[in-house]
Amino acid sequence: MMPRLHARHPLVVALAAMVIAALVGFALAAAAGAGPADVIDALIEGTLGSPFAIGTSLNNAALLMLVAAGFTIAYRAGLVNVGGEGQLCLGGIAATAVGVSMPDGVPMPIGVLTTLTAAALAGAGWAAIAAWLRVKRGTSEIITTLLLNFVGLALVVLMVQEPSLLRQPVTSSETLPQSEPLATSAHLPLLGLAKNPATIAIVLAVILVAAVGIMLRHSAAGLRLSAVGLSGGAAARLGVQVDRTAFLGLTTAGAFSGLAGGCLVTTAPFILADGFSSGFGFAGLVVGLLARGSMTAVAAVSLLFGFLVSGGINLQLAAGVPSSTITVVQSVLIILIAGAAWWTTSAAPSAQKVSV
Amino acid sequence: MNITMLTEIISSGVAFAIPLLLAAGGESISERAGVLNLSMEGMMLTGAFASVLGSVSTGSAVAGAITGVLAGLLFGLGQAALSVRFRADQIVVGIAANALALGLTTFGARILLGDGKGQNVPAFADIRIPVLSELPVIGPALFGQTLLGYLCVAAIVALAVVFSSHTMAGIRIDAVGEDATSAGWTGLAVNRTRVLGVLIASGAGGLAGAQLALSEVRSFSENMTAGMGYLAVVAVIAGRWTISGILWAALFFGVARAMQFALPALGVDIPYAVLVMLPYLIALIAISGFVGGRKAPSCLTVPYVGRV
Repeated sequence: MMPRLHARHPLVVALAAMVIAALVGFALAAAAGAGPADVIDALIEGTLGSPFAIGTSLNNAALLMLVAAGFTIAYRAGLVNVGGEGQLCLGGIAATAVGVSMPDGVPMPIGVLTTLTAAALAGAGWAAIAAWLRVKRGTSEIITTLLLNFVGLALVVLMVQEPSLLRQPVTSSETLPQSEPLATSAHLPLLGLAKNPATIAIVLAVILVAAVGIMLRHSAAGLRLSAVGLSGGAAARLGVQVDRTAFLGLTTAGAFSGLAGGCLVTTAPFILADGFSSGFGFAGLVVGLLARGSMTAVAAVSLLFGFLVSGGINLQLAAGVPSSTITVVQSVLIILIAGAAWWTTSAAPSAQKVSV
Repeated sequence: MNITMLTEIISSGVAFAIPLLLAAGGESISERAGVLNLSMEGMMLTGAFASVLGSVSTGSAVAGAITGVLAGLLFGLGQAALSVRFRADQIVVGIAANALALGLTTFGARILLGDGKGQNVPAFADIRIPVLSELPVIGPALFGQTLLGYLCVAAIVALAVVFSSHTMAGIRIDAVGEDATSAGWTGLAVNRTRVLGVLIASGAGGLAGAQLALSEVRSFSENMTAGMGYLAVVAVIAGRWTISGILWAALFFGVARAMQFALPALGVDIPYAVLVMLPYLIALIAISGFVGGRKAPSCLTVPYVGRV
């Protein structure tokens, strides 16, 4: 059924925000000396112009979908997982540890499965710290997951700096502080399109997003999460194990982000290095919040952001506009949509309050 | 370790701690009022960029510093409108505002500060206070700052005194952060107090950015704050929203940072990544309830629905 559109409908607001953000982008491009036509050409060229661009964009979108889907699960239980970045880092570390030590001759499906499982478990474990503190000591998961991000980012640096950990064997002073490449059997298979670097990550992400959507809407677990999120006290009286549900919600979110980290290192160039997470954890959080619990929106916003990033790189190459323009456009879009929440929610009341 | 090296570590630790402490001091007031500014990073970066731009275009470092503070306040106005008036999600807005500041200052630096104009900017010179700056170990650190540096220290003291938990202003701030509804019932202008909190944080952030750009680095480079604003938010958490706690946290973070560069010279084999994560681990333990003390303001990040 097509929802009725009116001025306060989230879709209308999102479209208006997109138009304003695009205008800001054109204005900045004009300041850098590029007309709107050049910008559009460069963007289309950079996002859809080549199989390579499409593939990269799809790989980016897959990561955002995974982080945002996990975020939504925890959010349903009233928990805000700001820690996607850190969980993603831990996932990357675990996947690298498994991937570089994998013996030759392991069949690909087993290799990939082990590596990604390790990544998801590591992400879940990292989130479990925050979940445990939340359940046992009542510490705000917003603050703990935020802090754990920075620890996770530093852990990546530690891992790739120390030869006794994951750093590749140091042979000369020019050896980069990064891990060895993962074994071939741990590489994510490509989709097999011509000249297209898209991996099965996007398929995996779409399946998981759909599964999460069905789980949240039609399963007992989804109902329990909603009950805990709406009112912990009432849920407890109905016999829901509130602490257990909240703990599992947040650790599952961590598992999804960890899985994203695993996908990141099992995709070319197959190494772990400082800054490998490229802010996907933070971007995924934003996607999750903007999508407001709708899995269709998670997929759509992830695709939009995934394509925008690769468009921005070409904007700099082809039109000479600094690629930071895309950062500006993206953040203006987020701020507008976040700022308009009071306007849309006065039409459709929903659980907006974030309790700390 | 000899005296020269110790002096060096303390000096560079204090140099890092001053803008950090100023930003954290401002942020703590906003957080006690119930508004979390994850955008402190963006406020500092904006302040740093605007101060360099102002300093280059007027040729005066003082005008540059004023521009930096004004830019910070302008940034804060936007943040306050979104966080307080429009009740937008403070975490989303904070992260997006940081990205916006990073994008705009990077873009602005390419367009307005190209061709090396961002280098060799009119900056503040060190003022060595006679006798005191000759003191061993702590002398150069505490009494060898620039004019702007001393001003920052004065601003930190002023914020600490005016908004301590014992003054009327401080009690009002705490009231709207701990129980906004009750504070509203007693006639306090909850949202106005919160806007004031955000403006104090952003003004302090702008000044801290100017101090970083015009007293220490003496130029603008892309993403020059490099996480210092996030560290300021972390210092507030580690210091448990109290003045003395934040002071110790900022000083400790400053020294830990200085040690990152000093350790290899001392021949100590601690990977610097361990020192990088130390502040965050300390903050994590501090708020986990394993040690007693003040808790996070109850209404932190919870918007208040009301007219004023």
